[in-house]
Amino acid sequence: MDEKKIKILMAKPGLEGHWRGIIAVSAAFRDAGFEVVYGGHMRPPEIGATASQEDVDIVGLSILSSNYTRLVSETIKELKDRGKGDVMVLLGGIIYEEDFPALKDMGVAGVFVTGTPMEDIVEFVRKATS
Amino acid sequence: MGDSQQVFSASGIPIQDLYTPEDIKDIDYDRDIGRAGQPPFTRGVYPTMYRGRLWTIRRLSGFNTPEETNKLYHEEYELGQTGFSVAPDISTVAGMDADDPRIAADIGHAGVPMSSLADVEATFDGLPIEKVSTYLADRCGAVNTAMYFVMAQNRGIDLQEIRGTTANDMLAWSVPSLVNQPPPEAYLRYAVDFMEWCAEHAPRWNPVSFDSYNARDCGLNAVQELGMLLATAIEYIETARKRGRVPLDRFVRRISFNTGVHNDFFEEIAKLRAARRMWYKIIRQRYGIEDPRCALFRVHVQSSGSTHTTQEPLNNVMRIAFQVLAGALGGAQSIHANGYDEGICLPTDEAMLLSIRTEQIAALESNVTNTIDPLGGSYYVESLTNQMEERAWQYVQQIEDMGGMAKALSSGWAYKEYSDATIEHERRLGTGETTVVGVNKFRLEKEVYEVPIFRWDPQAPYRQIEKLKKYKQQRDQSKLAGALGKLEAVTQEGGNVFPHVMEAVRCQATLGEISDVQLKAYGTWRRPFGV
Repeated sequence: MDEKKIKILMAKPGLEGHWRGIIAVSAAFRDAGFEVVYGGHMRPPEIGATASQEDVDIVGLSILSSNYTRLVSETIKELKDRGKGDVMVLLGGIIYEEDFPALKDMGVAGVFVTGTPMEDIVEFVRKATS
Repeated sequence: MGDSQQVFSASGIPIQDLYTPEDIKDIDYDRDIGRAGQPPFTRGVYPTMYRGRLWTIRRLSGFNTPEETNKLYHEEYELGQTGFSVAPDISTVAGMDADDPRIAADIGHAGVPMSSLADVEATFDGLPIEKVSTYLADRCGAVNTAMYFVMAQNRGIDLQEIRGTTANDMLAWSVPSLVNQPPPEAYLRYAVDFMEWCAEHAPRWNPVSFDSYNARDCGLNAVQELGMLLATAIEYIETARKRGRVPLDRFVRRISFNTGVHNDFFEEIAKLRAARRMWYKIIRQRYGIEDPRCALFRVHVQSSGSTHTTQEPLNNVMRIAFQVLAGALGGAQSIHANGYDEGICLPTDEAMLLSIRTEQIAALESNVTNTIDPLGGSYYVESLTNQMEERAWQYVQQIEDMGGMAKALSSGWAYKEYSDATIEHERRLGTGETTVVGVNKFRLEKEVYEVPIFRWDPQAPYRQIEKLKKYKQQRDQSKLAGALGKLEAVTQEGGNVFPHVMEAVRCQATLGEISDVQLKAYGTWRRPFGV
């Protein structure tokens, strides 16, 4: 992927209104030279459709309410249904450590809890895509 | 001064290493400070302040279902809480009913779902609403408040007597990323309709609480917070003045406010002192309203959730205590201390108890309430109060120059301010210009605290959906259609919609149905967030 810019769709699959995390991470990705498609609130089917249409490499999900397991699993299903099962899925927000294994099993490549330094997230993406 | 290093407050005000009489030599005590309870109210809105009546201790709460929230309110009441603050859940704020297929996963999150009159009745079952005051963090158009009022009437309570507050504030509404919302102009119209109605029919109800908490928590500084807060209030008054349906003194009499209390201790105190003086000037000088009761900046403050960390969550206990103290020294009428687990989950029972105890210890053990405005006359605090006022006026002016707060929102300007503030905050965390202990300074490799986590009940949505379906089936459909039709007609014609919202609620219309009427008339507005 060295020639092509890494393309990331950033979205909130739930209705909850916290946006600081997704905006801060989107800005950090943009500043790191990635191409960011800011989706904001999108229901899982919309995320699947946009990821496919925009041909993104990564989908970044931001969730700050405790229903993330359900929202993430619905989103991953939508991606798979559209033949985008290979897209890397990242999750940020208030995520409990005891749920990390289940999220990994579902196919989440990286989980970033609130308070994670931006550079750690950018670094993760760089390593994972190199 | 001897110290060569520049020091700034959180909002960028340069801070000297020492303050002296020289810094406050232009202050005229009677004109600029005065006694508590007397213009310009810098020292406090009431002559006796906490010696007469302690601040109200209350917390914003609600979760899972109305029935479970009701249990929580009974517990809070027994703990000595003197009012309830109702947080509606995500679906309610979005104006969607629990059975709306778009929201299945979101019911009961971050608040209590209140789709119907039955939900509001279940939330307050057995609670003496005639004795307490209730704060409703209501959505656009005060629809849950209409349900609360109908419930009160059904219980035989006269609305002339009922006490409480509806958020009804465009600024707080504007900040979260919400779907399914009308544009700011529509919000403003519904908000002013509600205030006009209350002035006549529910005169002891605070029909608005201008609320900068969310704006502050998205990263704005204290100057921006105060500027946006007052610019919003001014726009409401301007709207009512142009309509001329209600005399202005009656329109403004029950206005109240809600702000955050953040980390910069003295700046927060200065902010509250400056706010009181500025509000007095707006009411007395700008609008010529003479009744001094109208010029009281009565304020509920809440510890700033954005300062509470996920890492080492027990550290938040200390942050919250300092913020509560700033609220008390700033002369707040009501204080909400967050749960220390705010950055992790809804508060557990232990966290909730601790936050109430934090306030009680500050109020009853520390003796800070013994005298009014104990920091009044401090060279530093008075000087900072002046600085805060001067800078906030400039910000208000900037917003008015662009046509007022609704325009500032719809043009996207305010959203740029919001996201710039967030991005700048992250940058400062990265460089260490802003310190957060245990996060970007003295961070430990491994989390040392195990705190209990409040777990949301994944079955709650199903109970809620079933209940609502039954409620919808047993209604008199033709009465309901008539009430919604009337509401729609008045919405289009431009009359006051609120009595028709009340009537629709009486005919058992749901929140989603009433909200759909709003969206049909005004369209759905997508908030201009992005990078």
